[in-house]
Amino acid sequence: MKVSFFETVRYRAPQALPSEWPVPSGIYDRDAGARAYEDMIQRLEYVEELGFDWVSVSEHHYSPRILTPSPIVSAAFIAARLKRIKIALLGPIVPQSNPVRVAEELAMLDNMAQGRLVAGLLRGTSNESLTYDLNPAEARERTDEGMELILKAWTEPQPFGWQGRHFKYRTISIWPRPLQQPHPPTFALGTSRESCEFAARHHLGCGVSYGSFDSVGRATKYYREQCAQYGWQPTADHIVYRANMLLADTDEEAQDQFKKLPTQAPFSMRPAVREAMTAVDARNIAGEARPPITIGALPTAFVGGPDTVVEQVRRCKEVVGAGVLDLSLHPPGSRDVEPLMRSLELFGKKVLPRIREI
Amino acid sequence: MQAGQGVPLVHFHGAGGLRLTPAHELLSSRFRVVAFEMPGFGDSPENKRTQTMPELASTMGWAINKLGIDTFNLMGTSFGGKTALWLALQSPQNVHALVLEAPAAIRQPGAASPAGTPEEIARLLYAHPERLGSIPPPDPAVRAKTQPLVQRLRGPDRDADLEARLQELPTPTLVLFGTLDRVIAPAMGRVYKDLLPSCHLVFVYDAGHAIGTDRPEAFAEVVADFLERREAFVISRTETVIHP
Repeated sequence: MKVSFFETVRYRAPQALPSEWPVPSGIYDRDAGARAYEDMIQRLEYVEELGFDWVSVSEHHYSPRILTPSPIVSAAFIAARLKRIKIALLGPIVPQSNPVRVAEELAMLDNMAQGRLVAGLLRGTSNESLTYDLNPAEARERTDEGMELILKAWTEPQPFGWQGRHFKYRTISIWPRPLQQPHPPTFALGTSRESCEFAARHHLGCGVSYGSFDSVGRATKYYREQCAQYGWQPTADHIVYRANMLLADTDEEAQDQFKKLPTQAPFSMRPAVREAMTAVDARNIAGEARPPITIGALPTAFVGGPDTVVEQVRRCKEVVGAGVLDLSLHPPGSRDVEPLMRSLELFGKKVLPRIREI
Repeated sequence: MQAGQGVPLVHFHGAGGLRLTPAHELLSSRFRVVAFEMPGFGDSPENKRTQTMPELASTMGWAINKLGIDTFNLMGTSFGGKTALWLALQSPQNVHALVLEAPAAIRQPGAASPAGTPEEIARLLYAHPERLGSIPPPDPAVRAKTQPLVQRLRGPDRDADLEARLQELPTPTLVLFGTLDRVIAPAMGRVYKDLLPSCHLVFVYDAGHAIGTDRPEAFAEVVADFLERREAFVISRTETVIHP
C-alpha cells in the first residue's frame, strides 16, 4: 500500500469563523495566512521524513477550510521546497478551467518537479459551481471534454485545433511537454459512471473519495469492468482512495474523539441555495444516483488505534482494491494543529510500516 | 446533387456512397455545394473501368468541368478524401482549398473498411449511433457492387507515391478527425501535417468517422470558416462582450 498525505493548509484563525460558504474574505488575517503556508512546508518535510509516497493538494475556493484555490501554485511551492516526495495534484477543477492552460501548467510543473507530478482531474464539489459561475447542469460534459483535451494537448506532437462542444481552439501546441511520458500518472477522480468510463477508455487511474468501502467499492468494481471492456487490466496503483482517518493510541480514545468530530457539511451553503443545487447537480456512483454532499460531515472510513486501523486498511484493499490511500488525518479547517501532528507521527511510526505489504 | 449559391464547394463521398448529412445543408447556406455520386456508387452501373485512384480523380475533374465549374473548393470524405487529394495534385490551379473529413489516404497498419451487419457498420462510423435515430442501412446489392472498386482503388495503408507528392501540394488544406473515429486512427492526422506544406489539423470532439453526421454544426462551422478565411481562420472572431 502506498500512502499520500492530503495537505489542506492549516489557517489558524485568531477568531472563530463563520461556517457558511462563501466565507467573507474581509476577516482574513494576513499573519495567520502567511504562517499557514510556512507551517505547511515544515509539516510536509516531516511527512516526507516519515516515508509518505505522495503529498496531495486540491482546489477549493472562498473558504479558509482548504486554503488552496490554485492547487498548481501550491504544488509548485511544495515541489520547490521538498525534494523526494511525489506531488499529487488532485486536482484542477476541469469544468471551470481552461484545459489548455491546465495541460501547460501541469507539464511545466512535471518538468520543474523532475517528474514527481501525479495528476487528478475532476468535476469539483457542488459549491464550486458557484465560484466562477459554472452552470452545474453543464459541469459533467465540460469535465469530460476538458479532460480529453488535456490528454490530447499533452500527447499530440503536431499543432492542432479543437472543435468541441464547450471548448474551441484553432491552435494548440504546448511547450513544455510533460517530463513523464506519455504524461504524468493521471487519475480521473470520481465515483460516477462517466468518470470510471473515461478513465477506462483512456487507460487512466481511478480516484474515489470519502464514501464507505462498499460504496466506493462499487465504483472501483465498475471501473475494473470497464477497463476489461477496453482490453486492459488496472493494477492496485491505478486506484487511489481519499478518506478521513481518525487514529489514536487506542480504540477507545479514537472512538471518544470520533464522537467530537464536527457534524456540518464541509462547504455549507445557505439552505435555499443548497436545495436548488441538489435539484440540478446530478451525481451517481457507478450509475446509481446519489445526492451531492451538501448536508452533514464527510464520513470517516478509518477509526481506531493502530491495530484496528491496520485491519481496516486490509479490508479496504479487499473491498476497494486501492493501492494508494490519500489520507486526511484530522478535520480540515480545524484551528487546532497539534492533534494533526500527533496523528501524523502515530501513523508514520505505528501504521505505515505495517501496511506497506498490504 | 446541388444546393446553395456562392463559391462552389465540390464534395466526394466515402466508400459507402453519397449520403447527404445536415452538414451539407448547413454548408449550402454559404456555398454552392455540389455533392457528386462517383461512378460505380449508388444506383450507377458497376464501375469496372476505373483501375486507380488517380484515374477516378481525373474522371471527377472532367465531371466538374462539365458543370462549367472552373475553380472550386474541394471536400473529400474518407475514401473520397484520397480522390480529392489526387484531384488537387492533378489540377492545383483549380482548387482554392481542400477539406479532408476523416481522410483514408493514410491509414494505420491493417485498417479495414467498415464491414459487418448494419449495426456493426453504424457502430464503426458513428460515435453514438443510438442517438441518431434510424439511419437507412447500406443496401447489400450496392455494397457487393462497389466493394471491388473500393478495394481496387483504396491502395495500400501507406502510399509512398502519394505521400511523396503531397510534400509539393501548395493547396491550403484542412484535415478533420473525430476524437472517436473507429475506422481511421485520428493519430493519422499528424502525418498530413508532417507532409503537406499548408495543413491545419482539427479534432472534432465526440465525433466518429462520419463527422458531418455526428456533429454537423461543429463540422460546418470550422469548414466554412476555413474556406472563407483559409489560414487566417486561426484568428478568433468570437465576441465575448456580455453586456455593452
